[in-house]
Amino acid sequence: MAVRLSEELAEFVEGGLSMLVGTRDAAMRPKVDRAVGTFVGADRQTITIYLNKELGAQAVANLEDNGTLAVTVSRPYDHRSLQLKGQMLSMREGTEEDRAKQERWLTGFVEHLYIVGLPRSVVRQLKVYPSVAVTMRIDDLFEQSPGPGAGRRFEAGSTA
Amino acid sequence: MTILKLPPRCYQGVTPALIATCAADGTPNVTYLSQVFSLDDRHVALSCQFFNKTKQNVLENPYASVQLYDPVSFEAYLLELRFERAETTGPLFESMKLRIEAIASHTGMTGVFKLISSDVYEVLSCTKLDAYLELSSIEIGSKAEPLAGPRSELRGLQLLSQRLCRVGRLDELLGTLLQTLEEAFGFEHSMVLLADETGQRLYTVGSRGYGEQGIGAEVKLGEGLIGTVAAQGKLLRVSGIEDELRYGRAIRAAVNQSAGRRELRPEIALAGLPDAQSHMALPLVSGERLLGVLAVESRKRLGFDDWDEAFLEIVANQVAVSLDNVLLREQGEDDQTGSQPPAAKPVKPSDQRTLRFRFFRNDDCVFAGDDYLIRNVPGRILWKILRAYHDSGRTEFSNRELRLDPWLGLPAVRDNLESRLVLLRKRLEQKCPELSLVSTARGHFRLEARCQLQLEESDGS
Repeated sequence: MAVRLSEELAEFVEGGLSMLVGTRDAAMRPKVDRAVGTFVGADRQTITIYLNKELGAQAVANLEDNGTLAVTVSRPYDHRSLQLKGQMLSMREGTEEDRAKQERWLTGFVEHLYIVGLPRSVVRQLKVYPSVAVTMRIDDLFEQSPGPGAGRRFEAGSTA
Repeated sequence: MTILKLPPRCYQGVTPALIATCAADGTPNVTYLSQVFSLDDRHVALSCQFFNKTKQNVLENPYASVQLYDPVSFEAYLLELRFERAETTGPLFESMKLRIEAIASHTGMTGVFKLISSDVYEVLSCTKLDAYLELSSIEIGSKAEPLAGPRSELRGLQLLSQRLCRVGRLDELLGTLLQTLEEAFGFEHSMVLLADETGQRLYTVGSRGYGEQGIGAEVKLGEGLIGTVAAQGKLLRVSGIEDELRYGRAIRAAVNQSAGRRELRPEIALAGLPDAQSHMALPLVSGERLLGVLAVESRKRLGFDDWDEAFLEIVANQVAVSLDNVLLREQGEDDQTGSQPPAAKPVKPSDQRTLRFRFFRNDDCVFAGDDYLIRNVPGRILWKILRAYHDSGRTEFSNRELRLDPWLGLPAVRDNLESRLVLLRKRLEQKCPELSLVSTARGHFRLEARCQLQLEESDGS
């Protein structure tokens, strides 16, 4: 059953943050990737993430095999983090329209990393396109901020 | 198969690494890693601080996928790993623990933020992710390489060792050391702390690059980066300090909010640069004894590397030997009866202004006017001198009489008296220029007061 993000969490997820993606192959071998852009679906029960097409080849193959993925969204300056787990609904090539969204995400990401001391000129180099857009259904939501509470499942109050 | 060798700075934890694992039921998990250690060409170690989903997963299914970053060029590397074993004792565990405990203690998180195990993984493959960045940023990386090579540092060591051999007194030794660290090695922010007679505290006796900040500042054994180095007797280097402290604080905030809230100690302010990014502290050890700690800081994210660690350890060893010699020599010479103080010359206060000094018996604390001046042993020394001057007009004093005064509580051997006098002189220079302690002969000094004194004693502050 899908979980709905609260408006506050949807805004957090779309805030130009650091995004980590985990997938796995048929032999249960995991693969880590960085997502390069995201947006939350209108019903807040799905999100779409972008993968760098060249680097994401293994993740794409994994998703074609079993569709299972985990996405962690994290704010660099205080490490507030959220992990979303779910199932892929669809996957397609990124378009120019997607690219514009990704560029907006990158602008925010550059500023977030600038706050923690990474030069804008360096982070700006992150390659976001050509991309693959992966839309997932959110099945589970976990607190992932570091500490003893990490991994705790969000209570009903955080979802709607 | 040979594994691609990564630049050592990738393992300094400046830019957090990413890890994905997979549970037995096929659900992936993805999160950050606080620390990746390079063990050898085929193995890395990851710190396990909480029994989290990552750890649970690799116990069920040993494979892990990790992305590591070069913190200078931001280039990315992909490592495929297989979990081998968890170590809970031994040198690897101890060295990872030291680093984590220092950060834990620094953020007041001792006991909450701790190392459970060092998890050793076999590296199955390592690939550079060329498509990660738009352009090759090799130029960015190479610009940050240090210009100085081994030869210039060897010359620096030569200079330092020449100079240290010639110093006769503690204050000369401290001045020479910190000046040479800057001139020969470019360390602009450095300080020396010495262990006090209880062995439970360190006090800052010399610093450079901090203005007037920090002289006399105390650090408890085991607290903060410097206190941890003192307690463990091992060098510690931390880069990207802000990021790790931020990580520690994030955990602290989580603990404060959690149902099982517990008492957390207040965070200790780091004596030094408010915006230090790299920090290295080295124990000064002679035989089995900890004499103190040498600490250097930098505003650069990767201010210190393996090479700095190697030659600074040589520096620290040389300093420890010199320090031990100077302290022993001064004490030995003071105890000989040969040297006599010169005939006392009456020193008249040059102005008639009256300065009020207060002594608080409960914590041996001296205030000049309304300003805190000094406490503990140097506080008692100052009070003894001021009392003698005020009550009987005495201005000449000897180290020997201080050593014999039971009220001061100096131990019979290795009393650190000279270092307390160095500290006392510096504090007077900075906070109370109306008073000075002037050396008149070896082991003898004179109090010069350029104002009238009014003394008050009370039990509490």
